[in-house]
Amino acid sequence: MKVIGYLGLALVVAMILVPVYFIVVTSLKTQPDIYSDPLTWIPNPLQPGNYSYVMETVNFGTYLRNSIIITVILTVVQVALGVMSAYAFAFLRFPFRNALFLVVVAALMVPNQITIISNYALVASLGWRNTFVGIIVPLAGVAFGAFLMRNHFLSLPKEIMEAARMDGTSFLRTLWRVVLPMSWPTVVAFTLITLVNEWNQYLWPFLIADTDVVTPLPVGLTRLQQNEGLTNWGPVMAGTVLTTVPILIVYLILQKRMIKGLTAGAVKG
Amino acid sequence: MISRRNLLGLAGAGLAATAIAGCTGGSTGGAAASSGGGQKGSGTIQWWSNHPGSSKEVEQKIIDAWNAENPNLPVQLVDGGANYEELGQKFNAALAGGDLPDVIVASDVTWFNFALNEATAPLDDLWKEAGVDASSYVDTLREDYAYDGKHYGVPFARSTTLMYWNQDILAKAGLAADKGPQSWAEFAEWAPKLVEANGGKPALMVPDGSNYLDWYFQGMIWTFGGSYSKEWTPNFTDPKSIEAGTFLAEQFKAGHIGIAKDANNTFGIGGSAGLLQSTGSLGGLTKAAQFPFITTYLPGPKPGACTGGAGLAIPNGISDERKLNATKFIDFVTNTKNTITFTQATGYMPVRKDAVDDPEEKAYLEKTPNAMTAIKQLAENTAPQDYARVFIPGGGARIGGGLDKITIGGQDVEQVFEQLQSETATVYKRDIEPLL
Amino acid sequence: MAAAGAGPLHAEPPRRKRGWNWREIGLAALLLAPNLALLVVFTYRPLVDNIRLSFYNWNISSPRMRFVGLGNYVEWFTSSDSWTIMANTVIFTVAAVAGSMVLGLALALLLDQKLFGRGAVRSLVFAPYVISGAAIGVAFQFVFDPNFGLIQDLLDKVGVTAPNFYQNSGWALFMVTATYIWKNLGYVFVIYLAALQGRRKDLDEASEIDGTSPTRHFFRVVLPQLRPTTFFLSVTVLLSSFQVFDIIQAMTQGGPLGIGTTTIVFQVYQETFVNSRAGYGATVATIMFTIVLVITLIQVRLQDGNDA
Repeated sequence: MKVIGYLGLALVVAMILVPVYFIVVTSLKTQPDIYSDPLTWIPNPLQPGNYSYVMETVNFGTYLRNSIIITVILTVVQVALGVMSAYAFAFLRFPFRNALFLVVVAALMVPNQITIISNYALVASLGWRNTFVGIIVPLAGVAFGAFLMRNHFLSLPKEIMEAARMDGTSFLRTLWRVVLPMSWPTVVAFTLITLVNEWNQYLWPFLIADTDVVTPLPVGLTRLQQNEGLTNWGPVMAGTVLTTVPILIVYLILQKRMIKGLTAGAVKG
Repeated sequence: MISRRNLLGLAGAGLAATAIAGCTGGSTGGAAASSGGGQKGSGTIQWWSNHPGSSKEVEQKIIDAWNAENPNLPVQLVDGGANYEELGQKFNAALAGGDLPDVIVASDVTWFNFALNEATAPLDDLWKEAGVDASSYVDTLREDYAYDGKHYGVPFARSTTLMYWNQDILAKAGLAADKGPQSWAEFAEWAPKLVEANGGKPALMVPDGSNYLDWYFQGMIWTFGGSYSKEWTPNFTDPKSIEAGTFLAEQFKAGHIGIAKDANNTFGIGGSAGLLQSTGSLGGLTKAAQFPFITTYLPGPKPGACTGGAGLAIPNGISDERKLNATKFIDFVTNTKNTITFTQATGYMPVRKDAVDDPEEKAYLEKTPNAMTAIKQLAENTAPQDYARVFIPGGGARIGGGLDKITIGGQDVEQVFEQLQSETATVYKRDIEPLL
Repeated sequence: MAAAGAGPLHAEPPRRKRGWNWREIGLAALLLAPNLALLVVFTYRPLVDNIRLSFYNWNISSPRMRFVGLGNYVEWFTSSDSWTIMANTVIFTVAAVAGSMVLGLALALLLDQKLFGRGAVRSLVFAPYVISGAAIGVAFQFVFDPNFGLIQDLLDKVGVTAPNFYQNSGWALFMVTATYIWKNLGYVFVIYLAALQGRRKDLDEASEIDGTSPTRHFFRVVLPQLRPTTFFLSVTVLLSSFQVFDIIQAMTQGGPLGIGTTTIVFQVYQETFVNSRAGYGATVATIMFTIVLVITLIQVRLQDGNDA
């Protein structure tokens, strides 16, 4: 069983690694080396200059700061709203509960291609163009997380919730003492997915941001691509790597929480 | 924040008005809503650009020069997106209810839709008022923006199709290493030799239908006496157009013409003897190719090539005063000195007639004969694009898809072209005719 | 708020038709209001706008629009392209949902084991989910390109000619789907992993003591516990794959042969922003919304049926 496990692991690593590997090595290649026939697996010559090129041509530091501001605020807001909504849907009794839940989930079905024009007009009329408020507020509603957390809350052992009810425990205390300790893995997953989504937001920030003051990384880095003719993919890939690494670091930290969260929950439970 | 900016804007506009008093016409005072008023600005000229040809630095350089001369009317460069489509998207969003910019970059395909829907302003009166001599622009490039007797754009980052030839392979095939085929018939004669000399690889690589094959094929269809359309009448079913389509399909089938998503890089690694591409690829290929290559005209008889690329346009919804300032700024961006700066940095073609007489430019062109090809071809071998491609909504993608079908799809040319004919006519009737 | 917890807290409270607990309702309102307000203003208001636009002929650059009634709908339902696009969407969606869920679960199970190098592999599996679509489009060109791609290289060594993934509609759709699955494995993986972390370990131990076979244990013990997660993923993966855009844009621009890999949301984008037909684009979007709504309702129904 272990052997099969390791074999599967190796296969998966290979499948996923190869394209990732190409992104990383391309970021270290010169243009003629990127498109050579046959493919070169090792950069020849090594071109770390792509990274300094990115740093020099775009305001990388500013974009990074903006990305962090937008992502952190949106993630905090969405996780809070998601947990709150899920709590209401899972544990409280109120009229139109199922209908309202459907309203929240159905928001996932609306592609952003159809909301942008209308929202742009609204945001512009509020005077929010080229501001963080204008980028953040329209993206702050959460459907995915409310759905995920409600689903998870419903799977919690009913006895525990019943006990909390009997104690007459208040909402906040129930949340902190009973519900969340048994939910960390899911909350962490929710946080991770939200971080990734907001970090990679492109279309909306692109429409709202006019200057570097609020432009996040994915929008700022498009400048590295050519509009007509030949794109030098080295710097583009360097930009991609630089954008991806912060999230992967956060992931490494959080995935440990995911496991620790479990043990904490188990002790409580 | 915007309301604050609007307030500032009003003050700024007032300042600007006094600064250039005497030039302004019409709408002094009056709310933005008043007729002929249009949106007031913030006192800066907002230029939305997608920086064609990675030109942000050189654009900023030109802007800095303008700002030094016009401290009361500074220009702000705004990233308008990664490509023309995104810029169009951002501009359309602004049209639907935001603050309009003063100057936008509009592509060969997007400018007409803006003009037809009165989203951008006709420039002829503005030129007169601002004292701009429009006849100093290269005629074909300026006339690309003419509609209904008026002009709706100024040539800016303009390109044309070019042939690139790998000189090593030309020599190996026993052909002269300094010229391309004079006609497509001659190409068909050369092709087997070129294929053989390069180990069976195609003699000419062209981009596929998702990457503007419709643009590259346009010159070819003309040399056969055909076209996509004559004015608004689709012309795909003309026997000469079908002959050109058949030629393309047969050359593809014979392995003489290859079609690739990334034709540039396929050529760049020696995957074909020749390449049909934009002038915009020159800079990149010069850096990337490991072999000597030349650029040549597209095969004749003339015209055998079309122009493309982007121009600058002015939104219609802004105040007359802002329009006038924008006109002056556009004139500045494309003046002889700046068009030389811009085109040398990007590989596009100079848009003013007298640019080629400039001593600095002359020296540059002598040093880089491959850049000269495009400029010479412009006068001798190009024509404006067919309406069916650039003016009919979705025209490029539609024709590109059709050309994919007759080549990589192996479908019947006549049938595909008949379908293009009827679809183009339908779209014209539905989307264009009611607006003319 | 202090007494709010006094309400029934478990999933299916006893159904008492009368006698709502007003404090509970108040708390629910407080918890839901901000999120609902945001969704109503920034998602549903535009959606209603969109539905209204679907009855108009509107060029996105124009200040005027013309009412055409059901004209746009008639056009969509009678156009032969629509059916190709629907077929593309269905094939893509089914393959993407099935592929990423099966593989994602397998990965989660695998990396739930105590294996050496697990942490590194976990973040590696997640990496594609973080990378932007544009970069993925380029990276996969090195895999799929018929001239210098890896697959071509590998197949060449064993004497097989690789298909031209960019020039055949079927292969192009396969390529885009495979890439999408590759990118979204990380999402399915993380959600399943979180669910596996939260499962009841005592049942695992019981199986071990009883000597239940691993396969049997998986289908009888693990999978039923994961059912809510599976339901959740089947809904969200379906919805997100229905809306895939960036990968198609980066890899094929909807081609080859015109609409070889055009899916319905790509058509919305194409019609609205490239062809400037915002009215027609709104129609396609409305049709799409209706379809996914119906599918989701069916999924919810099935889930309820299972629970009952």
